[in-house]
Amino acid sequence: MKQAILSFAVFLLGMVLFASGRASAENAAVPDTVGKCMVCHAQRGIVKKFENGESIEAYVDGEKFRASVHRALSCPACHHDFSGDNHPVRRFRSRKQFRIQSTLVCRQCHKDEEVMKKTIHANLFQQEQQGDVPLCTDCHTAHAVAVISGGRLTANETQYCLSCHQHHMKLQFKDGSDMALDVDRSDLSASAHSKLGCSDCHYGFSSEEHPQRNFRTRRDYSIASAEICQRCHFDKYTQTMESIHHSKQSQGDLRTPICTDCHGSHAAAYVRDEKNFSVSRCRKCHPDIYDTYARSVHGKALFNEQNKDVPVCIDCHKVHNIKNPLTLEFHERIPDMCSNCHANKAIVGKYGLSTDVVKTYLSDFHGMTLGLYKKQREALSKPARPIAVCTDCHGIHNISSTRDTPAAVVKENLLKRCQKCHHDATEKFQDAWLSHYKPSLSRTPLVFLVDMAYRIFLPVLLLGLFLQIFLHIWRYAVNR
Amino acid sequence: MLSSGPDKERKIRRFRTIRVVEHWFAIIIVGILVVTGLSQKYYVLNLSQWLILELGGIDNVRLLHRYMGVAFLILTFVHVFIAMTGVLFRRWQLSMMINRNDFTNAVHNLKYYVGLEKTPAQFDRYDFKQKFEYWGILIGAFLMIVSGLILWFPIQATHFLPGEIVPAAKSMHTHQATLIFIIIAIWHIYNALFSPDVFPIDTSIFTGMISRERMAREHPLELARMEGASRQQILQDSHEKKPEH
Repeated sequence: MKQAILSFAVFLLGMVLFASGRASAENAAVPDTVGKCMVCHAQRGIVKKFENGESIEAYVDGEKFRASVHRALSCPACHHDFSGDNHPVRRFRSRKQFRIQSTLVCRQCHKDEEVMKKTIHANLFQQEQQGDVPLCTDCHTAHAVAVISGGRLTANETQYCLSCHQHHMKLQFKDGSDMALDVDRSDLSASAHSKLGCSDCHYGFSSEEHPQRNFRTRRDYSIASAEICQRCHFDKYTQTMESIHHSKQSQGDLRTPICTDCHGSHAAAYVRDEKNFSVSRCRKCHPDIYDTYARSVHGKALFNEQNKDVPVCIDCHKVHNIKNPLTLEFHERIPDMCSNCHANKAIVGKYGLSTDVVKTYLSDFHGMTLGLYKKQREALSKPARPIAVCTDCHGIHNISSTRDTPAAVVKENLLKRCQKCHHDATEKFQDAWLSHYKPSLSRTPLVFLVDMAYRIFLPVLLLGLFLQIFLHIWRYAVNR
Repeated sequence: MLSSGPDKERKIRRFRTIRVVEHWFAIIIVGILVVTGLSQKYYVLNLSQWLILELGGIDNVRLLHRYMGVAFLILTFVHVFIAMTGVLFRRWQLSMMINRNDFTNAVHNLKYYVGLEKTPAQFDRYDFKQKFEYWGILIGAFLMIVSGLILWFPIQATHFLPGEIVPAAKSMHTHQATLIFIIIAIWHIYNALFSPDVFPIDTSIFTGMISRERMAREHPLELARMEGASRQQILQDSHEKKPEH
């Protein structure tokens, strides 16, 4: 017990001594001149005016200065011509000119060779050669100068990085082009990644490390940067590996989109439930198809009526695993794509469209053959011939409503379409296709009547035959 | 019950060899047509898809079906040709012709089955079941050939027929096939295999021969004509021996 009290007392004493020692050391370190200057400069509202009308506040926060690394310096150490008695009037054209002068003061002590050892400084000084002078005070501030390393200056990593990257900086590429490195804080906070720190994506970078990397072109940089996304979005990344964009890229076409081309980088946002989003993204590289789509029945409904039911690019082409649409495999899947809506009464019923269109297609020659070709291609790896699917008659991106098109035009177009495969097809031949209608007495009486006759006769025949057999056996059994 | 007298063991020739050969061809050709046709009609079934893939894909199945269709066409025309020349130049009897007796016999037999008649109807060379089946299949064969050709050559067909003929032919081909399949699978197979009269199998179309006893029971009129015996005598004989029909 005694021992415990004793050790507590020793601890308490140590604390008191430590605290007072710290306080006296700091107080003693502030030079006398500071006191004199601070008589005025500790007050808010003192302003230095420049010739172009700009101004700067001449207020100095004493607390912050005392916490700064320069706390041991007196004011004239930096503000050379000034002393307790001497306060010359100096003239500057602008706020910028004033700050450039201030930076020169810093560099009297902090020699270039020393400063340039840090990659970030080296980067910044490259800009100086192009006339864009980096200002020490932009990052380090003037009176509150702190040691940057260790992140002591800022509350978190993002703030730390932004202390430079909110300013206009550029990354220089070997081909002479450059890229702005400034990041908009509002972009970050509004993005889906607002909770991430900078180094979560920019790994290798931290308050300690800022490696210098060299890229040939800006596109090289973007492509390399987009590789970062897979660290978290691996499922999407593997999907993109199957896409036509990826295969084109691996063949050397660097224009093909990467993650950031569609999603953005620092402003990457949630994209769910936004029909227009994907359309606008695809448009960037496929403007012709966009224009065609915009004129189609689907596109008009999307843009004019903000219709949420119509398909957009990604509904048919998928999102990340976009396949080559010119292959037979893609062609085969088209009826499935259209069926997603056109076989779903809940969707197309609203517009007075029949779901029979899919059934009638699938039960006729083309639909049946298509299904079997697909099977035999998979099972026997036998190359199949292309079979007419929805888009072959209705168009692809330019699908128009058959209601808005005069029947004669539809017929004329259909014949042309038939003749693509059935070369000597005649006008009469196209009537062999019942245009998705189920046989009816008014529309196709012959088919309807043949159907009906058999539908009545077959069950009657079946019943008669079974009755005969039953009676025959029964008579046989009775006679025995 | 079965008598073993030498007279009852006697076999009578019922079909000439050409009919036996014809029937074998019909079994094989119609069998292949049914298998390749039904697998197209019910292509969604796993069994059909398995078969189609085993045969090397739908194109092969269609080709096989069409070749067999041609064989069936030849078989049918040869049959009709032989029948016509036989009737015209060899004075064959029109034993397959349906006449008023067949309908009265059918009604008579129905009555007999339900107990309103004491004896079954008496038949000549072919009974009414056989005649109806024959004509059902022969007419069906023509419909199948015509609709099949339209489906095979749709563009040529629509040169002189309306386009609607193609889906109509499809409907007819598929329904008529079902009809023929039902007649064969149910009616013919019952009468030739499972009927108590012939069970386990009626071999006459394969051997060409039939026992005198069955002739007396099933075709007494023909037997009487063949043997010159009186109709009454034959009837009496068959009823004494076997009182079922």
